[in-house]
Amino acid sequence: MAQGVLQQTYDAIVVGSGATGGWAAKRLSEAGLKVALLEAGRAVTEKEFTEHMPSFQLKYRNHSPEVMRTRPIQRQCYACMEYNYEWFVNDLENPYSTPPDRPFTWQRLRVLGGRSLVWGRQSYRLSDVDFKAASRDGYDVDWPFSYADLATFYDIVERYVGITGAAEQNEMLPDGQFLPPMSMSCGEVRLRDGIKKKFGRTLTIGRAAVLTQPLNGRPACHYCGPCERGCRTFSYFSSPFTTVKDALKTGNCTLITDAIVSHVDMDEGANKAQGVTFVHRATKETRQIRAKSVILCAQALESTRILLNSSTREYPKGLANSSGLLGHYLMDHVVGGGARGTFEDLKIPPNANPPHRPNGIYVVRFRNTPATGTHPHFIRGYGFQGGSSPSFNTGAPGMGADYKKAVKLGTYEVSLGAFGESLANFDNFCEIDPDLKDAWGIPALRISMAHGKNEAALMHDAGVTAAEMLEAGGAKNIHVTTGVEMPGMAIHEVGTARMGNDAKKSVLNPFCQSHDVNNLFVGDGSCFVSSACQNPTLTMMAIAVRACDHLIERFRRNEL
Amino acid sequence: MKVRSHDAADPAARSGHPSPLINRRDLVRAALFASAASALGPAFSFAQAVSSGLTAAALGEDGSKFLTDPNWKAAFLNDQQNETLIALSDVIIPATATPGAKEAMVNRYLDLLLSVQPAEFQRQFVDALAFIDSESRKQLGKDFRALAPSDQVWLLTPWAYPRQPSHWMEQEDRPDPAQEHFERLKALIASAYYGSEIGQKELGWDGSIFHGPYQGCEHSTTTHS
Repeated sequence: MAQGVLQQTYDAIVVGSGATGGWAAKRLSEAGLKVALLEAGRAVTEKEFTEHMPSFQLKYRNHSPEVMRTRPIQRQCYACMEYNYEWFVNDLENPYSTPPDRPFTWQRLRVLGGRSLVWGRQSYRLSDVDFKAASRDGYDVDWPFSYADLATFYDIVERYVGITGAAEQNEMLPDGQFLPPMSMSCGEVRLRDGIKKKFGRTLTIGRAAVLTQPLNGRPACHYCGPCERGCRTFSYFSSPFTTVKDALKTGNCTLITDAIVSHVDMDEGANKAQGVTFVHRATKETRQIRAKSVILCAQALESTRILLNSSTREYPKGLANSSGLLGHYLMDHVVGGGARGTFEDLKIPPNANPPHRPNGIYVVRFRNTPATGTHPHFIRGYGFQGGSSPSFNTGAPGMGADYKKAVKLGTYEVSLGAFGESLANFDNFCEIDPDLKDAWGIPALRISMAHGKNEAALMHDAGVTAAEMLEAGGAKNIHVTTGVEMPGMAIHEVGTARMGNDAKKSVLNPFCQSHDVNNLFVGDGSCFVSSACQNPTLTMMAIAVRACDHLIERFRRNEL
Repeated sequence: MKVRSHDAADPAARSGHPSPLINRRDLVRAALFASAASALGPAFSFAQAVSSGLTAAALGEDGSKFLTDPNWKAAFLNDQQNETLIALSDVIIPATATPGAKEAMVNRYLDLLLSVQPAEFQRQFVDALAFIDSESRKQLGKDFRALAPSDQVWLLTPWAYPRQPSHWMEQEDRPDPAQEHFERLKALIASAYYGSEIGQKELGWDGSIFHGPYQGCEHSTTTHS
């Protein structure tokens, strides 16, 4: 056993180097703690970024058989492409199971920075309408803290990450520390004005983790377009070139890549986590690493899998699972409702060249708000993301020289797609599949989730309201969708180790610290009590920083 | 410039062979006895697993070189199909003041694409090509590729526009298979053309990465004109 143990004992092990793990490594090492940062994938450098490579240089122009063969699940995400698919997990090496009637798509990366390399960058604060939603509508429970408890951490994260956006003074979507907003296209201005006039609803430019002015040595965005292929100027936020870099600069943080954590090791006598066991990605050798505290930031399902795989005699149902709730209340925003159309009278031709704005528009939630009152068919709400711009019309009729002309004239398109709240439900859960292991011999997850009636009603309503808003903006040729996409499609999975004040009704305390094992923390989206409808990464980062500050304080008081 | 893989020094990672530390029999048994359906479906097994590295794109490789390879050979199409496709693409997207589908080697890209697509996709494509030829023989007595250019246009034109249902003849308004075949071929030819370097330039692409920051709507009137 002792053979594989690394010599140094750290103050903290951070598992995962993505948006939250990067922050944990930065925060803890800057406070003077000796940190080991473990990443399951390899390191990444800007030399492998492909954002400036023209698509015709891809042999298969994004229809690579290798992507189809090795990433049949990952390629359901638009960002998994022939350019960058090796950042995404190989589905053949990383299996999980689902009941046949409850499909779930699990999109994940194993590379330094994780999903922060390819994320959508949309960054929205939650409000007290979200944190205290149960008090308003009676469904489930409130979060164990309020907006005021998190606001300063949102400030810290936003000032460092760099969020472009416009202040709106809307109670559903608190304003933050914004860099100058990006501008809207003609179609977007028309839509914004039309829906404000007719419905009083707020359409704002997307709030995105993309720099519109230099910050901490990172230049402003040069508008080349495809952020998900990397950014040589680091103008969108990704952890390897910001938080992880800062952590390593302190001299207090040791980065260990290719380290696939299988479980947390316990000192059972002391009821303390004493470190983690990991398998080397390439050699498949097993090692143990010791620390005075452990913070899992591997993303909700992966962190939960590690805990479920860490059972001991005292915690037979998974580590830190005396509540029996670990793995339950899995949420992922419901998507599928929306509408698209065209502005026939906007005669602005499409442009094949940059600038390509890496951001869209956002319609702030307007259902079940203090201002709009209670909706008769559903609780909670949704926000819309979308955009409007001219695009080349390769679907034009005809052929020959006239067809070539029609393609270039283009059509001015407009679309809105909803992200709706996914209700916390005990019956949406993950557990260990007793018969399935990954390529490293680590037991794999069985994920069982389905969206329910409320989510379906949200998407139906989203189709209706998207259409009426496009009409109000003057769009034509409107097509509506009201379906519910497969869970996982939003790639906003949260909630499998919920936080709360009562150890019987939650896995983590309000500072992401395990109720059962006090030197064990989960710093990613696992802690979410509800999903709200806003993109979760900004909130995850703010909560991770808050959790780290709590960890640092306890560590200094010798309480871990 | 080549970027060295982080794992290049590791032979197991380079070869892509599973390490002996992994017990493949256990994995196979696990797959066989999985109590819930694997999200991948039954067609996948661990034997196919490969190691991660860098994509060809990340290594900076230009994958479009095969288009101009003097020794190019079709991977999927036979000679007749290839020649029919070239002729067809040249009618749908001809050279005008700018190069057309033939110059963009649309046939070579589609041949490669077809070679890696599922059998059903391949079958639909081949059937559509065969249909064009059979109609050409039926109406004009020759294979499509042997027709005069003006006859090629004459044959295809009715299928290239939305169909106006004829109420006078009391026909049922059902999908027209001829139009479906044509639309399938046209969509793939257009995608292959506009996805090529020639096609990107046709759309105005100039190869520059930077054209200044995004300028949004600056109109003071709601007509945006």
